[in-house]
Amino acid sequence: MLTFVTVVTPLVMLPAVDQGLWVLLAYRLPREPSAPRLAVWRKLKRLGVAQLVDGLVALPLDSRTREQLEWLADDVLEAGGESWVWIARPGTAAQERALAAGLQTAVAEQYRAVSAEARAAAADGSPASRRTLARLRRQLERIRRRDHFPPFEREEAQRAVEALTAALEQRAA
Amino acid sequence: MKWATRAGLHVDRTACAWLIRRFVDEQAEFVFVDDPDQVPPDATPFDMRGVELSHHAGDCSFETVLRRYELEDPALWEVARIVHEADLEDERFDAPEARGLDVLIRGLSMTHGDAQMLELTGPLYDGLYEYKRRASMLGREPS
Repeated sequence: MLTFVTVVTPLVMLPAVDQGLWVLLAYRLPREPSAPRLAVWRKLKRLGVAQLVDGLVALPLDSRTREQLEWLADDVLEAGGESWVWIARPGTAAQERALAAGLQTAVAEQYRAVSAEARAAAADGSPASRRTLARLRRQLERIRRRDHFPPFEREEAQRAVEALTAALEQRAA
Repeated sequence: MKWATRAGLHVDRTACAWLIRRFVDEQAEFVFVDDPDQVPPDATPFDMRGVELSHHAGDCSFETVLRRYELEDPALWEVARIVHEADLEDERFDAPEARGLDVLIRGLSMTHGDAQMLELTGPLYDGLYEYKRRASMLGREPS
C-alpha cells in the first residue's frame, strides 16, 4: 500500500532548479543517562525532522524551524552533549526531492491513520465517538505542525474529521 | 538598563520585553541583534542561545524571567502558560488561547518592525494579564 502510494503520487512540488535552504542539527549525546536522549528524540519526532544519518537531522529552513533546532541544540548542550546548527543547501535537486519525499511520506501515513479512525468513529456512532473527535482534532493539529510538504492526504484527513463532526451533530439533532 | 534580544520578534520575545518593562525595569531600553556576538557589553541578553534568560529545562524564556526575578503573581504564571504553548507547542499546558496569540503576533510581525512590535504588543499583554488577574480573583472567567 505504502509503496503504491509513493510511486503514483506527485509527491513534491518544488522548483526544478534552485534548491532551497535547510537547517541542520548535528548532535551527539552521552549514552547514559537515557532520559535526555529520549527527550531529544521525542522533540525531534514532534518537529517532523528528516533523519539524515544517526545524529544528523534536517528541516526546510524558515525562522521557526531554525529556532526550534537551535533550542534543541541548547538542550543537547545542557544535557552534556555536543551540537552544531548549520544552514545548508542540498547539493542536487534530486537529493532535496528525496528528503522532501521522505518527510511527505511520513506525514501522509499519519494523516491516513486519522482518516481511518474518523471514518470508523462516524460509522460506529457510540457516545465515545465525541471523545474520539476531540482527540482526532488535536492529532490533526499536531500533524499539521510538522507537515512541511503537505501531501493530498492532509485534505482527506481534514474532510474525514469534518464528516465525523457532521455525523455526530446529525445524531445529536 | 539595556536589554538585548534577537531581531525578528515573536511571541516569547515580545512577552519577555513586556514583562521586563512592566515588572523588572521600567526604564528598559531594548536592542535587537542578529547574532549573539552583537550584544552590546552593557546589555542583558534574553531569549538567545546560551544566555541565562533563555530556554532552560523545558521552560520558555518568559518562564525563565519569571523564575529569575522571583515574580510569583499567579496571573503572570497564567500568561506564562499561554506564552509557553504559543512558543513551544509541546502540550505541557492546556492553553487554548495560545494558538490565537501565536497567529496575532505572527501576523503583526509581518506588517511591523521590531520596535513597533513592542509598542503594539505591550497593551495586548497588559490586557491579557488583566484578564487573567481578574479571572484568578473571581475564580471564573470574567465577563
